[in-house]
Amino acid sequence: MQEDTGIPPGWNYNPASWGQRMPIIILAIVGFLIAAYLALFQFKVISDVWEPFFGNDSRKILTSKTSQILPIPDAALGALGYIADAATGAIGGTKRWRTMPWIVIAFGLAVGPLGFISVLLVILQPVLYDAWCTLCLATAAISVVMIGPAMDEMLASLQYMKRVKDAGESKWKAFWGYKSIQGKVM
Amino acid sequence: MRAQVINMFLGIWLMSSPAILGLEGTPASNAHIVGPVVASFALISWWEATRVVRLYNLPLGAWLVLAPWVLGYTASAAIANDMVIGILIMGLSLVKGKIDNTYGGGWRAVWHTNTPHANAARLQQDYTDKNREE
Repeated sequence: MQEDTGIPPGWNYNPASWGQRMPIIILAIVGFLIAAYLALFQFKVISDVWEPFFGNDSRKILTSKTSQILPIPDAALGALGYIADAATGAIGGTKRWRTMPWIVIAFGLAVGPLGFISVLLVILQPVLYDAWCTLCLATAAISVVMIGPAMDEMLASLQYMKRVKDAGESKWKAFWGYKSIQGKVM
Repeated sequence: MRAQVINMFLGIWLMSSPAILGLEGTPASNAHIVGPVVASFALISWWEATRVVRLYNLPLGAWLVLAPWVLGYTASAAIANDMVIGILIMGLSLVKGKIDNTYGGGWRAVWHTNTPHANAARLQQDYTDKNREE
């Protein structure tokens, strides 16, 4: 028997290896740091925000009505989103696509909406406020970059869930990674 | 992947074109809305497992070709910009590029039966069972 490398059946690499996950985790942490900085400005902890290209635009965007639509400022929500991405990216070993599908699928679901909302906010900047915010664009780019590399792992988990279903095993137990089901389905 | 790199820059060009070409009003808003979406879809499809997302840019490219007439652009720079970029985006989003890795049958294998991942798992299982017997 070949060594159990954690490569999913029918694949030629393991999408849950650290080499695959580490870049996403680092991106999420960078995204968190930028979003946290912007949130500090929105909470008025710092009085100025760095804007190299667009003059007063960042201030305009970060104090706009859209940014205050929810009880907490949007950059603070973004910061929470990046933390969720980093945490769900980091939790679990290199076989987590089958030992804990719930975290892989949570990871995929955390990355998706964060990217979607970021792109939406990028659209609203020029359309509603005729302004651009450099650091907001940077965080949006980071959130979109994370989507592609996160999805292969989710694909491996979904294929595993399909094999569990076809084998007639409990999908519930497989999803939450019960010990009793480990090793029953490849 | 190269085609999707170009498409991402076409999306970024759309975002910045109102400022560079001096477009205003509806054509500017259209470019500001479609640009980031095109750039995002193109960027997501850089990765092999999500290469299929490139096809989401087909309708967006088609919309850019139609938009000058549907929305009634008057500035010729705006008409030319949207139509040329739209055609380029459509053409490039059809380019799949090389896929080096295998993905157990990809996304459709999540719903279908008799897929590469299911067959590979069966072979692995048989192999393990046989070893156990011996």
